Amino acid sequence: MRWSRVRAVAKKEMLELRRDPILLRVIVILPVAMLLLFGYAVNFNLKHIPIAVWDRADDRIAQTLVRELSRDGKFDVVARVDAEAELRRLIDRQTARVGLEIPPRLVEQVRAGRGVRLRALVDGSDPTFAFQAQVGLQKAVGRLNARLIAARMLAGEAQPLPLELETELLYNPEGNTAAFMVPGIVGIILTQIAVILTGLAIVREKETRMLESLIATPVRPGELVIGKVLPYLVIAFADTLLVLWVGYVVFAVPMRGSLALLLLLIFLFVLGSLAVGIVVSARARTQIQAIFGTLVYYLPSIFLSGLFFPIEGMPRVLQAVTYLIPLRYFLEAARGVMLRGVGLDVLYAPFAALVVFTVLMLGLATLSFRKRLL
Amino acid sequence: MSGDRTKVRAEGLERRFGHLLAVAGVSFEVYEGEVFGLLGPNGAGKTTLVRMLSGVLAPTTGDATVDGASVVREPERVKARIGYATQEASVYPFLTVRENLEFRAAMYLEGRAAREAVEDALARFDLGGVAGRRAGELSGGWRQRLSIAQAVVHRPRVAFLDEPTTGLDPLARRTVWDLVYAEAARGMSALVTTHYMDEAERCHRVGLIYRGRLVALGTPQALKEQVRARYRFYRLPTGEPGAWRGRPGVVDAWQRGGQTRIVLEPDAPQPADAAPEEPTMEDVFVLKIREEDAHALV
Repeated sequence: MRWSRVRAVAKKEMLELRRDPILLRVIVILPVAMLLLFGYAVNFNLKHIPIAVWDRADDRIAQTLVRELSRDGKFDVVARVDAEAELRRLIDRQTARVGLEIPPRLVEQVRAGRGVRLRALVDGSDPTFAFQAQVGLQKAVGRLNARLIAARMLAGEAQPLPLELETELLYNPEGNTAAFMVPGIVGIILTQIAVILTGLAIVREKETRMLESLIATPVRPGELVIGKVLPYLVIAFADTLLVLWVGYVVFAVPMRGSLALLLLLIFLFVLGSLAVGIVVSARARTQIQAIFGTLVYYLPSIFLSGLFFPIEGMPRVLQAVTYLIPLRYFLEAARGVMLRGVGLDVLYAPFAALVVFTVLMLGLATLSFRKRLL
Repeated sequence: MSGDRTKVRAEGLERRFGHLLAVAGVSFEVYEGEVFGLLGPNGAGKTTLVRMLSGVLAPTTGDATVDGASVVREPERVKARIGYATQEASVYPFLTVRENLEFRAAMYLEGRAAREAVEDALARFDLGGVAGRRAGELSGGWRQRLSIAQAVVHRPRVAFLDEPTTGLDPLARRTVWDLVYAEAARGMSALVTTHYMDEAERCHRVGLIYRGRLVALGTPQALKEQVRARYRFYRLPTGEPGAWRGRPGVVDAWQRGGQTRIVLEPDAPQPADAAPEEPTMEDVFVLKIREEDAHALV
């Protein structure tokens, strides 16, 4: 082992790195971006959980309870309704993620010393979220209980527990984490296959100088792009079906909505992701650059889509950024179809966002792929 | 030559990359059935020129007509009419010889015409025996043969072959030239780039490109005549070129197998023991470049 040779190899490697402008940027940006994403995106202390209230009492205690809910910004009361079906509908649409039913004549019942049952409907698709929401509800009810008991004691009367909370977990009552994760995994697989494989596919031609031969033929950019993308579309679809099937068989992941709608959703998302891959590979000169380029797209998708970390837990600024992440819309729609069994009437917004994303990316991909060198 | 026998006409073709002038105002013609050699050292601008002629690189100024289509205004029409073999043999290593040909043929033809073109190319280039082999397993010579077969699988009337013989052994190089001439015999024009001097002798006509400029143009014979008219060439029995360099009247002197080859100004006296020699393409190349450098210094 001769140290001078080791040093020479290390020096050469450093020189190469220093002269690759893209790689250099990645080396600096990647760790900082990871740190910021982890620091800000990963926050399980949820706030501003949208809640709908069916207040059948509308008396002093009920009003205090509603105030307690929005203390420290834990819950935002987004709607007041007057039927349980309304609560369920709002949660279906994700306008609210929690519904609370306050029974009638609250003051009267508490005075009579009878324990009162409050009913909460909680969106259980994400077990982590459901747990957080329940803790928040319990805290609010607990604070109110303490005040009520204190007041009763001052009045010289003892009372066991005035208010009791009864929770119904919707969509995923067993708290099955897989049910929540499988649509996410489908999203990740689609992103990986579509963006990374496609990204590499065209750069590979460039690296081996095959692209020059190709663009010297009468083939049109559209023909080349579609031809390149088609096999990956098939692969991505096959993989998706495999994951869905395994999810169904092994983890009992439900498929409550329309399978056709889910497939349409997958098709849209894959097409857009493939286009992203083409845009990346049109810019990258080497496969390494393409891999890092796709990472720049992939990492924020993982962190900011609500895949592992609830969007509600992120700072406002980061929440705004999530609207730029296509995977966010895919997850919203896929979970809607699979877990809540809702259709286009509810999911039109994420669907529309995905259509915009796909059309935009396909356009960009066609533009970025020119049949001229330089 | 009449107009429609001209298959390639470059007119003031120029290409800049930032401050670098890669090709500077190059004009020439290639005729039907002609094998035209573009000769020049590495980095002279040969590949840039070929890329412009095949429509994959836009000229900064100037234009070229290839089989009637302008590379500036209708590059896609140019692409449909030419065959182009890039510098590195462009074959897909994981595809077989036949699959490579089928892929390229499908870019131009479809159905039966495409299938026939593949069979025809396999026969013309004697690739039938290796049709099922993966292109990655072929030796350099065979890979190059496939690369050229691909470039002309659709029987274009013009083909651009960028350094098809670089890195090949002499036998394989000879085969490549035989194949090029076979294609030319059926009327195809071929523009072949090379930096091997001896290969210039194999071309109908040669263009010498240096630092982006076309410094000489003509048949190999005519080019040699040009330098013969301007210089004297001798062989000396002793191998001491250093002793001759820089002397008045001596243009160049170099070692050759224990002897010295010297090039003199026409009015310089003939040295003792010197035997007159014929100029070679290498002399043409070196002397033209020397003249060009001398101009550049002024």
